[in-house]
Amino acid sequence: MNPETILETIQRDIKEKIMEASLSAPRRIQVRVQRDQLNAVLAYLKQQFAFTHLGTISGNDLGENFEVVYHLSNAVTSVNVRILTPRSSPKIPSICSVIPGAILYERELQDMFGLVVENIPDPRPLLLADDWPAGQFPLRKDWQYERPAEVIPGGE
Amino acid sequence: MIERLVHWSRVKSPWVLHLNTGACNACDIEILAALMPRFDLERFGILLKGTPRHADVIVCTGPITRQNRDRVVRIYEQVPDPKFVVAVGACAMSGCVYRGAYNSCGGIDQVLPVNAYIPGCPIRPDALIDGVVKLLNSVK
Repeated sequence: MNPETILETIQRDIKEKIMEASLSAPRRIQVRVQRDQLNAVLAYLKQQFAFTHLGTISGNDLGENFEVVYHLSNAVTSVNVRILTPRSSPKIPSICSVIPGAILYERELQDMFGLVVENIPDPRPLLLADDWPAGQFPLRKDWQYERPAEVIPGGE
Repeated sequence: MIERLVHWSRVKSPWVLHLNTGACNACDIEILAALMPRFDLERFGILLKGTPRHADVIVCTGPITRQNRDRVVRIYEQVPDPKFVVAVGACAMSGCVYRGAYNSCGGIDQVLPVNAYIPGCPIRPDALIDGVVKLLNSVK
């Protein structure tokens, strides 16, 4: 099983579930899917090719949309599953039913980008401070931080 | 007479609390190295204590993170008077590369009154000994 045959099998078996699949570099498969097909595609990849290792989930602020990339890998190759979600209703499905360990990454996405992860088992904040104001998402490109004035001990 | 005895024992045997307020652990490792037999801070009577209630000096490493700020103040309030704060490392002095970040409050002096600053990234154990001895001399 090499990356080329995996790509061909993906394009043949789940053609109706994905939008686009390609090989961007040796041993790196890119797959674009719709939001509602994400869990089905991940379950297929896990079952068929043992893509059981989720390296991370990364978010990307593209302006109009947020792109969410799921970095999966197995013994021979890695695959990046990409979904888009509009800024006006930033909802993504939880993948914890397929990969339970994704919970930490999903909670981080909620903290940092303000994405709404639907059906997440545990929606509590993860990384930001306890007194962090609601509705502030530091990794969004349009987020502005007002730095508090610094105290100089003993005056100037 | 009693006052002189208390003062003498305070200068000759300051007990320190090692407090990580958000450091990367490099300064903490150097502090531990300073407490070990090779550098031997104990020859100045300096003992590491596990609780703020027994300590005279708080040795703080790292910038104060936003999550940590209230907890650091609470620990500071538990230390009996008179108390001294030593800011150890570049981060504890000014916030260093974390200065102005959304989850950092900057150096220790933004939250607590600091008595001594020890520069370095990480500090050398010799620098820590030098700083603490200077602090004790200023208390004398």
